[in-house]
Amino acid sequence: MDLTLDGVGTRLGGRWVVDGIDATPPSGHLTGLLGPNGAGKTTLLRLVAGLLPPEKGAVLVQDVAVHHLPRKARARRIALLEQESTSTVPLTVREVVSLGRIPYRSLWGTDPDEAAVDRALVSARADHLAERPWSSLSGGERQRVQIARALAQEPELLLLDEPTNHLDVSAQLSLLAFVRDLGTTTVAALHDLNLAAAFCEHVLVLANGHLAAAGHPREVLTPALLRQVYGVEADILEHPRTGRPVIAFHEPTRSE
Amino acid sequence: MKARTPLTLLVLAGLAALVVTILVTVTIGPADLGVDEVARSIGGHLGLPVDAVPRLHDAIVWDLRLPRVLTAAAVGAGLAIAGAVMQSLTRNPLADPYLLGLSSGASLGAVAVLVVGVSLLLPVAAFAGALLALVATLALARSGSTLSPGRTVLAGLAVSQMAAAGTSFVIFWSSTGDSYREILNWLLGSLAGATWASVAIAGIAVVVVGTVLVLSATRLDAFAFGDTSAAALGIDVDRTRWTLMTVVALLTGAMVAVSGAIGFVGLILPHAVSSLTGPAHRRLLPVAALSGAVFLIWADTLARTVFDPRELPVGIVTALIGVPVFAFLLRRGKGAAWT
Repeated sequence: MDLTLDGVGTRLGGRWVVDGIDATPPSGHLTGLLGPNGAGKTTLLRLVAGLLPPEKGAVLVQDVAVHHLPRKARARRIALLEQESTSTVPLTVREVVSLGRIPYRSLWGTDPDEAAVDRALVSARADHLAERPWSSLSGGERQRVQIARALAQEPELLLLDEPTNHLDVSAQLSLLAFVRDLGTTTVAALHDLNLAAAFCEHVLVLANGHLAAAGHPREVLTPALLRQVYGVEADILEHPRTGRPVIAFHEPTRSE
Repeated sequence: MKARTPLTLLVLAGLAALVVTILVTVTIGPADLGVDEVARSIGGHLGLPVDAVPRLHDAIVWDLRLPRVLTAAAVGAGLAIAGAVMQSLTRNPLADPYLLGLSSGASLGAVAVLVVGVSLLLPVAAFAGALLALVATLALARSGSTLSPGRTVLAGLAVSQMAAAGTSFVIFWSSTGDSYREILNWLLGSLAGATWASVAIAGIAVVVVGTVLVLSATRLDAFAFGDTSAAALGIDVDRTRWTLMTVVALLTGAMVAVSGAIGFVGLILPHAVSSLTGPAHRRLLPVAALSGAVFLIWADTLARTVFDPRELPVGIVTALIGVPVFAFLLRRGKGAAWT
């Protein structure tokens, strides 16, 4: 699915938090959205999801502006997972996943494709959790179930806001490997640069609402860029097994 | 966890319980009535070929007790679904029309027009009162863009106390007779004045609003993980919230216009039935409505018989049952996201 960000931008409280971003994340691959806190990652994801109307530019999905799509049609094509998913409602895992079918339900609440929930549970490898109460799950299991909910929307575009937050290392690795291998165009805001370097085909680096760099992690994640965007010093090594970049941070030298 | 009980079964069981409750509770009270007499009296008025009932007994059934029991059923059903919908829209398990001040606001509106003497406008004024109270509570509770459950309950408390004081003041100032009893009836709720007109007002409101809400069940489900998640599922969050909140205020206004501010029905019934139905609103709302109806009929029957010939305001009975449940919910929710 073709996703194009065409000079998109919006203000929040008078400040341009996202300002004129041009980008084309590759179809069918995982794109990492990087940048320090406050760089505009969450706002950009909301713009791409069509939840926030752009004040300038547009987000195009197959050459159609997302904020012009009807709500239901948009929700059938784009799924967004928020940074924190909390609920006060005593839902089971299956009920959480079936929320993803809401864009397909008729007025009477019937789903034309009742097997979709099971397919989503299976493909997110969460089917063994189906009858468990949502509140009893671990952080990694919850994130997996939220992914299943997003997959139940059968999206062409998957948007994830910090999906690895609060997960332990093994859950982080298995989640990103799973998302990478889905074959769905995915944009994920990530904090951990090494995870982004290891799993993303493409990265977009935001700084103060502007696009600082875009491309393959090997080309983008350079010592100069990290200094410029994050204000940190680092050496870029090569992973001995995968050949992917590994970022080794160090303290700034005294002479500066 | 087992699969959920089929909805049809739950609804049929609820309907059966409701019919039995109506037939039985109409017999309860002074005057020795049997279930068969109640059934024959109702049948006769519906034009069925049944043996006639002695005139006095017929009048007790048809003119006094049946309208009261049916009003209790409609009000109980209405409050239960109003509570369920408010809990979902505010993402607050402690929300209900009484705790968030809608009922007191509706009482104030109703009492205000009664004083002016235009009782025809009473349901309209009660609706306006409920809506104003809702807006006031949400405005007070809102800090930034978030609506914290704790703040919402506190704001509801403030609005509710203000409106209750207003109601008491208006009655105290204007009433010539037994103003204390009248104040209590509006603040604690009473079904003693129920007539067939009350049945019509509350019944029509429950059926119309209930239908609208059941048809909105999917949209209500979408709020489970909050506004952004609902929006990402294709829901127009602001429009849905304000439309459904207004509809709930309308329902609350109709309920309060016929019965005063009865508390805790909207709070406890949705929690009580959700363990059977699960949280999906298409299942929760009809079952909560039927259970609310049965619950309030029995609560009112207790209220009018326990200290016979004196009557308790029914709100005392619902509070005596509801407050322990409220306390239980608070304890259970300790450490949960909404506390």
